[in-house]
Amino acid sequence: MPLRPRMFSLPALALSTILAMQLDASAAAQPDTQVPGAERIESVTLANGMTVIVWPDHDIPNVALYNWVRVGSRNEVPGITGLAHFFEHMMFNGTSTHPPGDFDRLLEAGGARNNASTSNDVTVYQDWLPRGSLELVLGLEADRLRNLAFDPKVIESERGVVYSERRLSVDDSNFGRLMEQVQATAFLAHPYGIPTVGWPSDIESWKVEDLKKFFATHYAPNNCTLVLVGDVDPKSVIAQIRQHFESIPRQPPAEPIRTKEPQQRGERRVLIEADAQTPLLQFAYHSIAGSDPRLPALELLMRILTDGDASRLHRSLVEERKLAIAADSHIDAGFDPGLAWLFLSLPAQGDLKGAEAAFDAEIEKIRTQGVSAAELNRARNQALADFWRRLATIDGKASALGSYAVLKGGYQKLFDAPHAYEQVTAEDVKKLAVELLRPSNRTVGVLTAAAAASKE
Amino acid sequence: MKRMWSRPGRNVIAHALALILVLIACQTIVPAKADDAGVHVPPFERVQLDNGAVLLLMERHDVPLIAFNAVMRGGALTDPAQQSGMSQLLVHLLEKGAGKRDAFAFADALASVGATIATDADTESTVIQGSFLARDQALMVELLADMLQRPRLDQTQFESLRARQIEFIRAAKDSDLESLTGIYGKAALFGAHPYGRSVIGSESGLAGIAHADLERHYQEQYGADRLILAVTGDFQTASMKRALTQAFNGWRKAAAALPAVTAPARQTGRRVVLIDAPDSVQSYFWAGNVGVARTSPERASLDVVNTLFGGRFTSMLNTELRIRSGLSYGARSRFERLTQPGSWQMSSYTQTDTTQQAIDLALSVLDQLHAQMLDPTALESAKTYVQGQFPLALETADEWARVLADLAFYGLDRGYIDGYGEALDKVSSDDARRVIRERFPTRDDLILVVIGKAAALRDSLRKYGPITEMKLSDPSFAAK
Repeated sequence: MPLRPRMFSLPALALSTILAMQLDASAAAQPDTQVPGAERIESVTLANGMTVIVWPDHDIPNVALYNWVRVGSRNEVPGITGLAHFFEHMMFNGTSTHPPGDFDRLLEAGGARNNASTSNDVTVYQDWLPRGSLELVLGLEADRLRNLAFDPKVIESERGVVYSERRLSVDDSNFGRLMEQVQATAFLAHPYGIPTVGWPSDIESWKVEDLKKFFATHYAPNNCTLVLVGDVDPKSVIAQIRQHFESIPRQPPAEPIRTKEPQQRGERRVLIEADAQTPLLQFAYHSIAGSDPRLPALELLMRILTDGDASRLHRSLVEERKLAIAADSHIDAGFDPGLAWLFLSLPAQGDLKGAEAAFDAEIEKIRTQGVSAAELNRARNQALADFWRRLATIDGKASALGSYAVLKGGYQKLFDAPHAYEQVTAEDVKKLAVELLRPSNRTVGVLTAAAAASKE
Repeated sequence: MKRMWSRPGRNVIAHALALILVLIACQTIVPAKADDAGVHVPPFERVQLDNGAVLLLMERHDVPLIAFNAVMRGGALTDPAQQSGMSQLLVHLLEKGAGKRDAFAFADALASVGATIATDADTESTVIQGSFLARDQALMVELLADMLQRPRLDQTQFESLRARQIEFIRAAKDSDLESLTGIYGKAALFGAHPYGRSVIGSESGLAGIAHADLERHYQEQYGADRLILAVTGDFQTASMKRALTQAFNGWRKAAAALPAVTAPARQTGRRVVLIDAPDSVQSYFWAGNVGVARTSPERASLDVVNTLFGGRFTSMLNTELRIRSGLSYGARSRFERLTQPGSWQMSSYTQTDTTQQAIDLALSVLDQLHAQMLDPTALESAKTYVQGQFPLALETADEWARVLADLAFYGLDRGYIDGYGEALDKVSSDDARRVIRERFPTRDDLILVVIGKAAALRDSLRKYGPITEMKLSDPSFAAK
């Protein structure tokens, strides 16, 4: 991402299991979890079904605009894998009223920056602008929803761009290569097995007809949630939005994803031999959907395992036994049950068998013995502090509102999050560990250093 | 993503590569962007303790958080030549036990209250950043004071951390080649000058550091006279000042003098460093020369011109390498502005077969910059863009903590922020042309670094200049 140096977040660097003194005072010591200004949020649904959420915040003279479109690689089939992501690129490449290049040129000349991202579930378009450019940006955003066009020459050059993106993040990255294979192996039926960037042969061969069909099906206003946070007056900005967007015609909803992943009945394994110095281990467990009420408990479980230097996996595998150099986790919390991931990076010539055995022992321990009150309290406080950190920027607010509105059952739930973490009990966490972190429910990915292996 | 498609688990790489990623973040400490829409430095209080420590305090009450940014003068500049990575290793070790807490107790104390502390070195400083809930401010002061004044520097922790740092570099070579071009690039550009040192160290540099060396480094390079501590957020200035004064006014000064750094010489002619990554499918390239210092009075003109050339999506460089040709996912350029002139660099990547085509194109874009009369519309667009994005980097307590510390570090006054919009407004076509002529190298004066499949690239790279070859697995970032 050439122009955005800002958003790298450091892993939280701390934790441990020693009982802190003020431990059970956590509830009493909670700061006021009322979010300042949240009562000023306004939300409307336009006549064409588009959802609009506006949160005024006058701290800086700027606006963060997020358009969440409910389409991702989950909506793809063989032959068009990667199309949702490619489409995200094509949304910047011309309409019947603006030739290719105009969107970025006009936006940047107005002092605004943009980006977009695609996941299994959604495609999100983002603009960060000075308040004076709001009218310009709304006009351009509405135009590309209404009038998108496909220039065959641009399709070809953008194909090259996307392939370069794939080489960067997957083909030249051992971590990316392994993750792609594990994800594809974990799902036999559900399209969550499709890599968001697309399989190479599909990147090379999708056609303009595929794009047109995709646009007509998914880029309907009734499939979009527009979130604006920043230096705006909700009433007048909603009026502006109506003017630009409300006449875009509603479309029939896309076919629902019917396929449910059948229950996994035994561990699956993927092996990659690579020209690598550092081996990798990845564990992907079938998990829960973003709207599942157990999500806060799952988040706390993963924090207990990997958040910071005192977390269980870090402490045991990295610090004490030195079997790994990093332990981390990620939860796919989308429309359908996705994967809960745990990752280990090993040192050069690392002991893969030893690391996996130590990992298994830690997982078994949490499944049989559960978690301590101190650990749970620590994870809660980490979640609470991260909640506040996210809400410190207009960008973070727009991202949080949108993800709760689209994927987690309503934007209001964002403000329940501190309370929801508070409600999670040690028993809830243990139950989830027992249910999800079973060997027969997982896919294990192993990346070995081929050169080192052949020498042995 | 339009630029970087979002993949779950990216944070894992970030974890393994925290060193490298943070390096990038730190180089952008002060926004190279402009003000217009009324962004001014909010009121803050500056206190200098008798021992030389500088405290900067700014209240921000929008969310119940406090951020601090503790900057120590020194950084990689002070790394012994054969022990690159010393400063980085030392600052990481500070939280592996300090004061009454061993490493686990320290980590637990932080996490139990949801706080984070991040440590990092840069070319001429080391930095500790913290984020705490407002209710935990006493603990925050205690932990920071312990890290700086009473670190345990435990030998076992030292050995395990040193080993891990070496492995992180190996992991980056396996999964993130793009992040490494600048490290090879600066080593080649600056040579023996301290700005050429790899902040993260190298496999051989880290391996050469003994525990006693590190203890000595702490005594020599850490002390109150080196410290600038900015604290921002939800607190009362009077009580915070009292707590910090009490915590820091007893600290000694650093035992050694800060090394003087001379201005590095601009390079003439062109040479090539080729790093062989035999398994890679893309080539990652970087071309640069010596640029300008942080205090350069041409800052606004340089920001505008670099934005046009390689600092935004529609920049000349990205337009050619990505938008028109589809050769790459991205291309960009930037200045690194330090006490003395740092690097100017442009970088991109493309599949192995099109490496020469992409490098030729990048050089021809540089030719265009030098040859072209600047389009006044483009100049205005770049000025508006820089202005419009500026406030977005000055929003949170931690951003203000970084800015306050940075201003103090470089001896800049608030005009650096408050007056930037006006400075941008004043940038004329003549100013732009002058800085292009004087500050941007031509295609003939560049250090070119390429990481890729050497067997396929070697012959085609000869035309750019004499080639020095290295292997990705070599334990140092500098050619022998």
